[in-house]
Amino acid sequence: MQRVLRSIRSTPLRLTAILVTIFILSSVVSFATAYFVIRATFDSTLEDEINQRVATYQAIDDQNDLIERLKDDAETSKPELLILQYLPDQGSPISNVRHFPPISGRAIIAERAIDHRGREIAESYLARSMRVGRGQLIVAQTRNQVFEMGEIMVSVVLIGLIPTLLFAAVSGAIVARNARRKIGKIQTTLAELTSGAMEARVPINASETDDLSDISKSVNAMASSQEALIASMRQVSADIAHDLKTPIQRVAVIIEQIADKTKLSDGQEDLLDRARAETDGIVKTFQALLQLAQIEGGAVRDRLVSTDLRAVAIDVFEFLEAEAEEQGHGLHLQIEGEGQFIVRGDRHLLSQVVANLIQNGLRHTAVGSQIKVVLKKTDKGIGLTVSDNGAGIPEAEREHVLRRLYRMEKSRTTDGNGLGLSLVAAICALHGAELALSDNAPGLVVSITFPKTDPR
Amino acid sequence: MKLLVIEDDKTTGGYICDGLREEGHSVDLFTSGSEGLIQASIGQYDVMIVDRMLPGIDGISLVKTLRGTKNNTPVLFLTSLGGVDDRIEGLNAGGDDYLVKPFAFGELSARIAALGRRPQIQDEPVVLKVADLEMNLLSRKVKRAGQAIDLLPREFALLEHLLRRKGRVQTRTMLMEAVWDIHYDPMTNVVDTHISRLRGKVDKPFERELIETVRGSGYRIDA
Repeated sequence: MQRVLRSIRSTPLRLTAILVTIFILSSVVSFATAYFVIRATFDSTLEDEINQRVATYQAIDDQNDLIERLKDDAETSKPELLILQYLPDQGSPISNVRHFPPISGRAIIAERAIDHRGREIAESYLARSMRVGRGQLIVAQTRNQVFEMGEIMVSVVLIGLIPTLLFAAVSGAIVARNARRKIGKIQTTLAELTSGAMEARVPINASETDDLSDISKSVNAMASSQEALIASMRQVSADIAHDLKTPIQRVAVIIEQIADKTKLSDGQEDLLDRARAETDGIVKTFQALLQLAQIEGGAVRDRLVSTDLRAVAIDVFEFLEAEAEEQGHGLHLQIEGEGQFIVRGDRHLLSQVVANLIQNGLRHTAVGSQIKVVLKKTDKGIGLTVSDNGAGIPEAEREHVLRRLYRMEKSRTTDGNGLGLSLVAAICALHGAELALSDNAPGLVVSITFPKTDPR
Repeated sequence: MKLLVIEDDKTTGGYICDGLREEGHSVDLFTSGSEGLIQASIGQYDVMIVDRMLPGIDGISLVKTLRGTKNNTPVLFLTSLGGVDDRIEGLNAGGDDYLVKPFAFGELSARIAALGRRPQIQDEPVVLKVADLEMNLLSRKVKRAGQAIDLLPREFALLEHLLRRKGRVQTRTMLMEAVWDIHYDPMTNVVDTHISRLRGKVDKPFERELIETVRGSGYRIDA
């Protein structure tokens, strides 16, 4: 059903249908025109014949001879071919039908208007009525040939159209399927490009020169320039990293040297410590930005391997448990289900996700808050949730907190650089995992759903 | 140890050399990749410290070339590029360790020490011993002065790591990598918390402190 719907939606198939309809309409119109032209010609030939016959009767001068001749002709003529009716001013009428409707001049008379005494007559007649001798003569000739010709033409049209229709339908379907295949390739490539695989290209057959191949070429050209642009941007960020980090390294060295080689008062020591902490902060923010750029670049994607989330969660949990306790928070790990929790991923990045979320919870909730990490298998894949019972994030803010360097007004004073959640979001995207922030009433729940892995 | 430093920034290079010489190493410094490569292939060094971005030949190509000539001197990469990818690239090229700039000198010195000793793989001992502290790796039991000490698995792993490297400073990042497999900066001093808990069990009830804090570097258990 879906395939049928898709076929109907396909542009080439629709075009074929429109073309076929136009073809049918135009052949019907041209055949009809031909039919009417031929019929008119035929009618005028008939009229000539009738006139000729009338003329021969008019040539007979004697009324009695005329009546004799008409009686003969009426008797010998088959009414389905020729109807003769003579109504003399005096005497009995002559006719090979019981009654022919009265007409004046020229008329086309249908079968049902004629009283034919049960004899076989034609469907339609071309009739003329005029005075001949001393009476009114009607000569009507059959138009059956016209009808027969019409029927022949209808069958010609029908028989001619069936193979055309079949051919058009089959070739339309083939063209549509080919086009759909090409469009499918373009769509797959675009999806890959969107997900960050910048090396994706539409396969192109050099011998094909249709418009879809042109579009494929344009898509590839666009992807190439995009890839080059990203590469140069990455180069630029690497260059900036190098250019800025070297001076920062020097500052760090100078601070160390001041600390080592000069005698300082306590106040000066404090200032130096603060300078050291600030340089550290700059470096860390920088590092996080670079890492974000790299993850979003997608190059890490090739390195994703089967990774056990259970082991990752336990490592991080056991690492941060002490910190949570120290800060007066409760940290709980709940693993629902046995065995491994395999996802395709990078162990270090996944561990960073879990750590970032737990540390967010520790940082942004009041003392005594509980932070809970739950790992479970769901229908959709593997679910990881980190929830707290702190103040939570207002719904309007939830979108924003995933943006890099965004910090909510109230968290400006706490440490952190506003990159933690953007990093989480980028890592989730890299792993094809769904990330959602919701209300824990009270508090925040961050849910991540990793897709099922194909067993390989 | 005999060390080779290839670093194009003179301030950083000078600082590294001064510090390492103060620690008693003999250090050669080169500021370009091509010079460094020549020196690396002719000199006999214990550890090489190579910056990734160098004029001439970059650090990665330099180490690849060296490894191609069967030179297996341990290499520590210094870099401004700290992404996961760069790290892997460095290690794949034949680097043995990786340090992101800016770094604290203590971190560098501890890592050089670890690299310099790496080849000496000893027989797997069953009992690790320092002073009156004993760790049995088979029964996973720890005793000090005859008293059994109850440790959580990670506490055991942390103590084992320090005991196996007794006398050598282990930085906080080295401990995080080895014990919890955490390879990024968690921006927290949680290692200190773990150490202080371990001390609470191993050191506090006893007279002598075995786990020593090395200022500006990390921790060490004295031999």
